[in-house]
Amino acid sequence: MAESVSIQLQGGAFRVMGWNPPRAQPAHGWASVFAVYTGSGALPPLLGSYAIEAGALVFRPSFPLAPGVQYRAVFHPTGGGTAVEKIFDEPSPRTAPSARVEQVYPSAEVLPSNQLRLYIYFSGSMSRGEAGHRIHMLDANGKVLPGAFLPGEELWDPSFQRLTMTFDPGRIKRGLTSNEAMGPPIVEGKRYTLVIDRDWPDARGVPLVEGFRKAFRGGPAERNPPDPKQWRITAPKAGSSQALLLNFPTPMNYPLLQRMLHVSGTQGNVAGTVSIDKQETEWRLLPQQPWKTGDYQLIVDSALEDLAGNHVGQAFDIDVFQHVTEHIATKTISLPFVVR
Amino acid sequence: MLRRLTFVRVAVGLSLAAALAVTVMAARKPAGVLADLTSGNAQLKSAGALAFGPDGVLFVGDSIGGEVVALDTNDHAAARSAVKIDVQGVDVKIAALVGVTPDQIMINDLRVNPISKNVYLSASRGRGPDAMPLVARVSGSGDVSLLSLDNIPHSSISLTDAPASDPSARRNPRMMTITDMNYVNGNLIVAGLSNEEWSSALRSIPFPFKAAKEGATLQIWHASHGQYETQSPVRTFVPYTISGQQYILAAYTCTPLVKIAVSDLQPGAKVKGVTIADLGSGNQPLDMVPYKKDGHDYILIANSSLGLLKLKADNLEGYKPIDSPTVTDVAGVPYDKLGNFKNVQQLAQLDDSDAVILTGKPGPFNLQTIALP
Repeated sequence: MAESVSIQLQGGAFRVMGWNPPRAQPAHGWASVFAVYTGSGALPPLLGSYAIEAGALVFRPSFPLAPGVQYRAVFHPTGGGTAVEKIFDEPSPRTAPSARVEQVYPSAEVLPSNQLRLYIYFSGSMSRGEAGHRIHMLDANGKVLPGAFLPGEELWDPSFQRLTMTFDPGRIKRGLTSNEAMGPPIVEGKRYTLVIDRDWPDARGVPLVEGFRKAFRGGPAERNPPDPKQWRITAPKAGSSQALLLNFPTPMNYPLLQRMLHVSGTQGNVAGTVSIDKQETEWRLLPQQPWKTGDYQLIVDSALEDLAGNHVGQAFDIDVFQHVTEHIATKTISLPFVVR
Repeated sequence: MLRRLTFVRVAVGLSLAAALAVTVMAARKPAGVLADLTSGNAQLKSAGALAFGPDGVLFVGDSIGGEVVALDTNDHAAARSAVKIDVQGVDVKIAALVGVTPDQIMINDLRVNPISKNVYLSASRGRGPDAMPLVARVSGSGDVSLLSLDNIPHSSISLTDAPASDPSARRNPRMMTITDMNYVNGNLIVAGLSNEEWSSALRSIPFPFKAAKEGATLQIWHASHGQYETQSPVRTFVPYTISGQQYILAAYTCTPLVKIAVSDLQPGAKVKGVTIADLGSGNQPLDMVPYKKDGHDYILIANSSLGLLKLKADNLEGYKPIDSPTVTDVAGVPYDKLGNFKNVQQLAQLDDSDAVILTGKPGPFNLQTIALP
């Protein structure tokens, strides 16, 4: 009997051909007759479901078969006899590297010594669980500086194309043991290089096209919260489709600039395209429709941060002790301008 | 994606499994919080932080989906005897069940069902954005199985609270990664880190989840030396009772360990933790287990670089809130480093005298019971 039995893989399902299965499944289930294993070790079989289709026993794995993985299907004839085993190698797709680091924000070459976060933008989806050993900070002599970043959870966007790295806040925040023992991760006046390894696998398991390096220098700490009074609005001319410009004296947090500013006119919000330029010191809104004469408001979410995590009206570490009595309020600040 | 899992038992222990099944049926009670769950397909996009609620309800943090899902594990039978777990290569076994190589399994969290003492692991099949969420169960006899996410009584609550930073993007790039959750006095408390702004709120969500109410959000602050204070995200926390009052012990991302009275966690409140220890630099507390032994209080802490720490936690009520700039808050609760446990990735309480740890890096990962030291 068993000699004529063969196992086939069709459309992700494993079929036992040349064997007439009984109507009812055996006492110990179909898995006692036919099972599929991942790899070659003595491990539990694949999860899945059994069915009789066109007189053949079929096993459908609960999860899709993975590229590059070997599966071993084993059929044990019910009446005893030699087991039939067949190996299936799922093809490993030939894939060339295609993902690269597109940009790291802040884009400036001088970062405040209390710089809080870096945002790394990749051109493709990446693999999780790698950041801890693929990103390095080097000093001016090329020596790796350990402990610059907060270990633990990797903060990705849902497409795994943007990674948020946080400098160890315990070293940034004044008064903590880490800050006093190790100092801040970035020291004013010193030179550093951020290095991202080429070997970082993308979501397909393929390395980056190339590694990435960003040189920067430590600047003075930024302790003052962003002050909208110091921001400069350049209003566009009525009837034009010029961009509205907002300039900041120091760079701001890139992802937050994209969603924490908007423009409101008498007709409601002004639709347009936001762009950020001049090392995150300029925010522009290019309107969909030409500007109309009138009064406008630039609405700022006070949660907008600068590079050091200071947000509008509130420093990252407040150096005046206050009793904690305030309650959360969603705060926005309106900056008026006129289009003439 | 096709995700039709049946609850398949693995390996040996059939007789124990059968005994367990009988007791499960006897103990099944659809009343209480379970009555608020609806059967159907739990649409998880990821499975991260875990927490157990009443009646074997398992909360699963889905950071990519921006929600928390409560699942009825249907695992309500009390463990009959002390549970000793020792599973070598638990990631390898999960990989075998779902048909991938072990490097494609990432274990995200570990919790013990306080009733059955079965161990639950959240994991991902794959490492990219399309990774599939898994919830695995490890029984006291070492059987590894997957919890079916199809046709399971569940309910969920959305944590999404921010507009898309780029409305034209396929997905909103802003995301809150849920770092820890605990069920305390009828509320699920959720800690998270945003991938955009620094200040993240702690949320307290009443359970059963009511209509789209997301619960109270709290600003959690931390002061150091009574001089500088920061709106600081909580990385991990654990419920704790001090002198009959309910607290949470929380570890901030900037390393101090603090206590926060649960009575302070009121809607909209700005809450400041009282520092009880500063574990120093270059490390992150991963999980904490408070326990009593020989008349003393301790907290066992799994730490990203220091392994296991045993904190002497007697008289935590003596740590007063900081209320003037001159008071120092570096309290220095003494702790011991336990050198015999390396690469501890996860820690969870099993019972009054035991914990479960997941060790290994990069893998294979081993799950084992340890006596609380």
